[in-house]
Amino acid sequence: MTTTMDRRSLLTRAALGATGLVAAGAMGSLAPETAFAAATQYPEPGQPDPNFAEGLIIGRNQDLLQVQGSDGRLHRIQLTGVTSVWKLRPTTLDQVRVGDGLYARGVLMPDGTLAAESVWVNIVNLTVSITSIGRSTLQLEHHGQKVVGYVQPGLTAAVYNGTPAVSDLSMLKVGRHAQVIGAWRPGTNEIDIATVYASN
Amino acid sequence: MAGLNGEVSWFCCGNAWGPCASTGRGACGTCHSGNFQHAWPNTSDACFAITHPDTCGVTGMSRRTCGFRHSTTNLCNGSRVVTSIADCGPQTDLFCGERACCGGTCASNRIVDLTPAAFSAIASLSAGLIPCTIDVG
Amino acid sequence: MFAHQVAAAQPLLIGLLLLWSSYGKVVRRDSAERTALPRLVGETRAAPAYHAVGAIEAVIALALLLPPAWTIEAVAAAVLAGGFTGYLIYAKIVVPDASCGCIGSSAKPVGRRAIGRTVLLLATALAATTADDGWWSIGSVAVVAVLVLEAAAFVMLSAELDRYWLLPLRRLRVEITHPLAGTATNDVPLAATQRRLLLSPAYRAVNGLLRSDIHDYWDDEDWRFVSYTARYDGRPATAVFAVPHQDSTPEAVRVAVVDETSGQTLYRPTLLATA
Repeated sequence: MTTTMDRRSLLTRAALGATGLVAAGAMGSLAPETAFAAATQYPEPGQPDPNFAEGLIIGRNQDLLQVQGSDGRLHRIQLTGVTSVWKLRPTTLDQVRVGDGLYARGVLMPDGTLAAESVWVNIVNLTVSITSIGRSTLQLEHHGQKVVGYVQPGLTAAVYNGTPAVSDLSMLKVGRHAQVIGAWRPGTNEIDIATVYASN
Repeated sequence: MAGLNGEVSWFCCGNAWGPCASTGRGACGTCHSGNFQHAWPNTSDACFAITHPDTCGVTGMSRRTCGFRHSTTNLCNGSRVVTSIADCGPQTDLFCGERACCGGTCASNRIVDLTPAAFSAIASLSAGLIPCTIDVG
Repeated sequence: MFAHQVAAAQPLLIGLLLLWSSYGKVVRRDSAERTALPRLVGETRAAPAYHAVGAIEAVIALALLLPPAWTIEAVAAAVLAGGFTGYLIYAKIVVPDASCGCIGSSAKPVGRRAIGRTVLLLATALAATTADDGWWSIGSVAVVAVLVLEAAAFVMLSAELDRYWLLPLRRLRVEITHPLAGTATNDVPLAATQRRLLLSPAYRAVNGLLRSDIHDYWDDEDWRFVSYTARYDGRPATAVFAVPHQDSTPEAVRVAVVDETSGQTLYRPTLLATA
């Protein structure tokens, strides 16, 4: 925990400009777009991206995940200290569990392992209609299927017609459509809601 | 149709995990979350009747069918992907008037949905919604 | 006597229900694709079978509604209702995702309410087989009241009609006292910070260096800090953004790219941050 605190305090000072730069030339010396364009190579439209994986986690050996893709392919995904993990919120590697669904983006290594840079665990993005509102849940309908959405105090945010996200959910209306970003609870038709975009 | 500005989000398809189990292979029968594909609101009369971009005053959205290529550029970072049409969507008329600006360029209304593979190449899946510009790929 | 009158009144209710049910299948030509029929009778025969059922419903409905009143009409309706019940139970077990295809083109899968409705239909049809008179002979207010109650039961069991009464009721409840009224706080949701960050010039300045989604985030006084894994000049680094809680202008977002092992700042687009 101390290292996390040290790390955060170093980064806090750096972001606010309280630390010195390595070299004066580092101020705007690099053209980031050029570096980015050189590093990425995308597949043909319509084809799968070898640097991306999707599926259910069927095994975990330390930080190596076995993932069963919904197209039948098997993926081996390596998590490292620099991998970002999203599971309802940005979180840590230990939160990635067998049975979770996942999307991962990274770099395909020569041995067939995907070295993950970002993983999104159980993330869903659904266009739904709100059929009922309770004290801690929204009853949703997605493609004719019932989905229960749990409100997480302190986390769930609402966006009303493009305005900045707020924690106030009291303007959601029964019968309206919404787009919901959330985390699926494995094996159920339930999700925890991160952001709900209310339609107008 | 050069440079149509709007918002891009993402959707899952291909009978995958969780609520995506019931989504099927899309209107074109080819859609899969891991492929570089997208949903377009004007793939047929039946599709247009669902998405109704005209309700939001979006014009210049040409009729394009399965397999047609579009490029989507994230207005906030310049990243670009080329994808092919695999489904009908998004439901533009549900979110008329949403607007976001990046670096002086603004975009309104939802005009395209990418697969997770394609969206994550130009933005974060957790961000969900990004201003973009669409061109013929 | 009362029971006889109620039995005689049933054909009116059954007839109207079957007419409504056949309307979608025959006049509006709803699709049979999403029902369990393709599985039951085969892909090619699903649509003709679906439309044929609609035609049979219409014929029985008209026979029930128009004089004369023959017991055979009620028996036919009972057989049809029995068939529906069996079919829906089959669909629920064999093709759980299939839509009901009962009334209207709802995509909703077969539920307990749909089965409950066909059981109620079967019960009313069986009651009708005991009638000696036509429905037009009823003169009692009590019988009409029973009919209204039965109709209400059918409405409540019809998911297709929820939007006409159940949703407005729920909407009214939410308007009177919104269950989520207490959710508003002064805390800035991470989603708001993330969006502000993504729309900022600071993000555009370092985007080419970022390799991950949000790696860590924390608050310190009036700022929220968000870090990403990055690469700078071919070596690992961390990009850290500072997003003020109060100032919502995109230019207020600051960023630095840091080498965590040495603690040194490698890159900071200062001009953007102060512009």
